[in-house]
Amino acid sequence: MITYILSLVFAIVWVAVTGSATLHNLIFGFALSTLALWIVRGEMGARGYWRRLGRILLLLALFFKELALSAWKVAVLVMSPRMDLKPGIFAFPLTVTRDFEITLLANLITLTPGTLSVDVSQDRRTLFVHAIDCSDIEATKRDIAAGFERRIIEAFQ
Amino acid sequence: MTDSILAILTALLVLSGAGFALVAAIGLNRLPDLYTRMHAASKAGTVGSGLLLLAVGVHAGDLSTFARALAGFFFFVLTAPISAHLLAMAAHKVGYPLYGESVRDEMKDYDKRI
Amino acid sequence: MTAQVILSYSIWLAFVVLCISFLLTVWRVIRGPTLPDRVVALDMLTGIVIGFIALIAIRTGFTLYIDIAISLGLVGFLATVAFARFILSRGGREGPQGETVKADMIRALAAPVPEPRRGARKKTAAGTGPAVRRKAKK
Repeated sequence: MITYILSLVFAIVWVAVTGSATLHNLIFGFALSTLALWIVRGEMGARGYWRRLGRILLLLALFFKELALSAWKVAVLVMSPRMDLKPGIFAFPLTVTRDFEITLLANLITLTPGTLSVDVSQDRRTLFVHAIDCSDIEATKRDIAAGFERRIIEAFQ
Repeated sequence: MTDSILAILTALLVLSGAGFALVAAIGLNRLPDLYTRMHAASKAGTVGSGLLLLAVGVHAGDLSTFARALAGFFFFVLTAPISAHLLAMAAHKVGYPLYGESVRDEMKDYDKRI
Repeated sequence: MTAQVILSYSIWLAFVVLCISFLLTVWRVIRGPTLPDRVVALDMLTGIVIGFIALIAIRTGFTLYIDIAISLGLVGFLATVAFARFILSRGGREGPQGETVKADMIRALAAPVPEPRRGARKKTAAGTGPAVRRKAKK
């Protein structure tokens, strides 16, 4: 039942996005969303789907907040008259194991203030991160582990 | 009324986007080495062009255009870290050095191992 | 109506600011000093051009420009990825001034070069021949 309602909602979104409110387009959107929902049917039925969706949305919100903050920090750093840099590369021990999660974490790290992920070790246990300010690495590591990594684990495991 | 609010919002987005692009360009020239420059380009630069795209969506004021602009924004935000990551990895593996005053390089030993 | 005036002025200001940042980025492309630096700057140039396209879209009202901007972003991303693969596969290093020192040239310079004798030309190893040495000196 809930699948049909979702398909209908997606079809209406489709009509809004494509910008032509004809019956054909609505039917096409309905077929398209049914197909899309059919592809993810295994995930849909799983326990805690809605809670997980909420957590993914929370992760997205956190991501945008951090992105805005990091752009602002880079701006402040660049415009300050004396740049006080302590750049360096540190190794971050990974808790997440799947490739998808590591990719997500690396992307999130790149778009957070002052850090840029450089490489993953072959055994997928360590992520090498370049940081503009390496004066307190332990605090940075703790921030990443308690912030993004915990949220990724909550959202996808 | 809505029109003028949209116009003001567009103006704000346009100005902040251009400002971030300028900051990224200044950072590209002021920062001392490749890796720190990448910070400026991948963060401020992406946010700059993303905000400008969003401004187009807001200015048009209809949902389909806004959705397309939003899709473009997501696309840039998702691809920029990947290209920065790839470039940093390639440069470090090939052996471009870090800035002389860098504090540490825990990846150095790893590169030698492979 | 005043809001529209503010908008048009801010678009002009944004054009000027983008021009300045474009020139600054071009300066980094010219100055280098290494290839990855230039690639980062080129990536940044794509972003600035996308900004230009967005501004033109706002000024003219053609929202089709959004699609152009998206496809330019795709091309720029692919170009950066290709450059990264190129840097990785080239494997060489650059000197401090940015001149390219190919890895095989380094090896050719480091290898002990035997005095070329008459009639021994065929035996000379491929990497240490006089032709390679001449190329490495350039």
